Amino acid sequence: MTAIHQFVPTLAPRDAVGGHYLAVRDSLRDAGYTSEIYAQEAKEEYRRLARPFRSFEGSRNGEPTWLMYHSSIGSPVADFVVARREPVIVDYHNITPASFFARWEPYVAGQLALGRRQLAKLAVRASLGLADSAYNAGELRDLEYDRVEIVPILLDVSQLGGDVDEATRDRLERQRSDGGTDWLFVGRVSPNKAQHDVVKAFAAYRRFHDDQARLHFVGSATSHAYETSLRDFVHALGLERAVEFAGSVDDAVKHAYFSCADVYVVCSEHEGFCVPILEAWHHDVPIVAYAAAAVPETLRDGGLLLPSKDPDIVAAAAARVASDRALRDHLVAAGRERLATFSLANSRAALLAAVASVAGDP
Amino acid sequence: MTEPAIDLQRIRREIEAEVRARRASGEYPPGFTRELDDLFARFSPPEASDNFDAAVERAEEAVAIELVIPTASNKPGVGLFKRVVAKLISWYHMFLAQQIGALGGAITHALHLLGNRVDEVERLSGHAERARAEGSRFAAARDDTVWTDAVVGALAGSGGRVAVCEAGDGELVAALVAAGVDAYGVEPRFEIADAAIARGLEIRVDDARGHLRSCAPGDLAGIVLRGCVERLAVGELFDLVDIASGRLAEGGHLVVASVSPSAWGRGRTEVEADLAAGRPLHAATWVSILTARGFEQVTSTAFASSEQLVPLPSSHPDASLINDNLTRISTALYGDDSYVVVARRASR
Repeated sequence: MTAIHQFVPTLAPRDAVGGHYLAVRDSLRDAGYTSEIYAQEAKEEYRRLARPFRSFEGSRNGEPTWLMYHSSIGSPVADFVVARREPVIVDYHNITPASFFARWEPYVAGQLALGRRQLAKLAVRASLGLADSAYNAGELRDLEYDRVEIVPILLDVSQLGGDVDEATRDRLERQRSDGGTDWLFVGRVSPNKAQHDVVKAFAAYRRFHDDQARLHFVGSATSHAYETSLRDFVHALGLERAVEFAGSVDDAVKHAYFSCADVYVVCSEHEGFCVPILEAWHHDVPIVAYAAAAVPETLRDGGLLLPSKDPDIVAAAAARVASDRALRDHLVAAGRERLATFSLANSRAALLAAVASVAGDP
Repeated sequence: MTEPAIDLQRIRREIEAEVRARRASGEYPPGFTRELDDLFARFSPPEASDNFDAAVERAEEAVAIELVIPTASNKPGVGLFKRVVAKLISWYHMFLAQQIGALGGAITHALHLLGNRVDEVERLSGHAERARAEGSRFAAARDDTVWTDAVVGALAGSGGRVAVCEAGDGELVAALVAAGVDAYGVEPRFEIADAAIARGLEIRVDDARGHLRSCAPGDLAGIVLRGCVERLAVGELFDLVDIASGRLAEGGHLVVASVSPSAWGRGRTEVEADLAAGRPLHAATWVSILTARGFEQVTSTAFASSEQLVPLPSSHPDASLINDNLTRISTALYGDDSYVVVARRASR
């Protein structure tokens, strides 16, 4: 039997990439491969699901063994994998360019820059590069990975819904009863996700289109400095009662936010895939997005893509989506259609075909 | 009954047209977006700026190691445990803190010395950045009427977005839009950009390189380089052309509209020329640069100077001979005033 073990920097709950690691493990096991997860750090809830990466000693019974490294940030795990003798598969989830963090969180910027250097070093060792978007695949090819396959992130799109936190939904519904549109953005509060541009567009929206509108940011902060500036910015605009920072929430609370949103607004400068777009589709929330990095590829016609994130333009686009029933229905239907292409079955099949092409059958 | 098809491209165009109309009517104040940008910049921390002194200051603050170990805890007994551990390792903590503090202090001192040397280099080199900023501020308005027909002719029928960098007062953008081209402008000077925006034109307040960097590869059907190409240093021009080349779609057109070297520094460009880091290139140089970068169908069109020596009346017995010579002298003295170079982005 062939073993394909995953090596990851961090295994964490409420994280799309974390869910991907588990789905990859299950897919490999179901296909007949031996598969474990080795991590530098496993968060409390997932601790029993991963082993310390330094405890990996290689195959004990001589079975062919492959190492699948998941690249998303600088990590000693990458150096460990490079130094091993086993053949390597790299699954690339994109590393945010360090420039986005250099001025806000120099330490994080250093980790990101390290991650890019490690990714380049892995090119020599990797028999196969997996990328969850053509955008990410392009970056691997630029680093001279010999063979690159696109395998969408393994996500059970039918499970994107689920329980809704009633208390949160009731609170949001009470706010909605006073009128006003609800904007939503889900994702880490991070300079590359440019929440400050969402706030600018929202300020324009409140001023020119709907002075009762609300904006909800759901997600934890990866930069305290950036989050602080963002909150100060919101305060200076006098929008502290209209803009909510919900922080990290569990799935049920997140579903409540999606269920009460009128429009999902993305102004990100850099996204390697943008999983929340899939969640917005699942919850029938129309999307207005700035066309940058992998967002156009993920979104395609499943949302209103804008070539500019000029606040006036984004605000006008959101207003159009909120007020034009036909457009809204069209975007929701197109989103549903697009979401179907990311089915877990399709992604699993793509993963197993790619893996088998280098590692052979189990 | 079937639902009418929704054309998202049309919706985008309608949204942009609506914003342009509202700006033109004054409903959207031209400075609103800039006010938002400025306000957010105010709340960005010092290290989020390009200010070297502020960054060193921040590093110095970070060097000060906190000697009091946090021991608070919500869990019963843990706070006490932490305080005991803190007491036990306090000597080691102090020892480490002193060493890290000394290292940090040495590094920030070295940064100060480096900063002083950079200041000196900048002083000796005439503060190139300051001069550049001044030069940009004094950039004179260009007479777009000279090259408008040539530029519009080159870009008419473009099947995508066309960026005009720098757009100035928007005259060229307006001409392109009137010809049915999906054009917008990029202009770094707020006051000029606001005037163009107030005309209902789509203008991004940014410098040419910054804006083009933010565009996706292959995103633009055409790029017009104007104004900035006369002031940038040669290295910066190469950088600009490389970025522009990457942003053009296959078959897209790059258009360079520039005054000629012989006209540079005359008349209204005097101040700008004195302060500029670079100077305009000859049209032939652009042809060479663009050809070397794989552009196809590179052509140039020159526009003669309006300044000429006054010819003798034809009644003068030597008029023919003297006027021929006057024409040669005029050409030598004034040459062509400006030119347009057009190049087509080849397939990659």
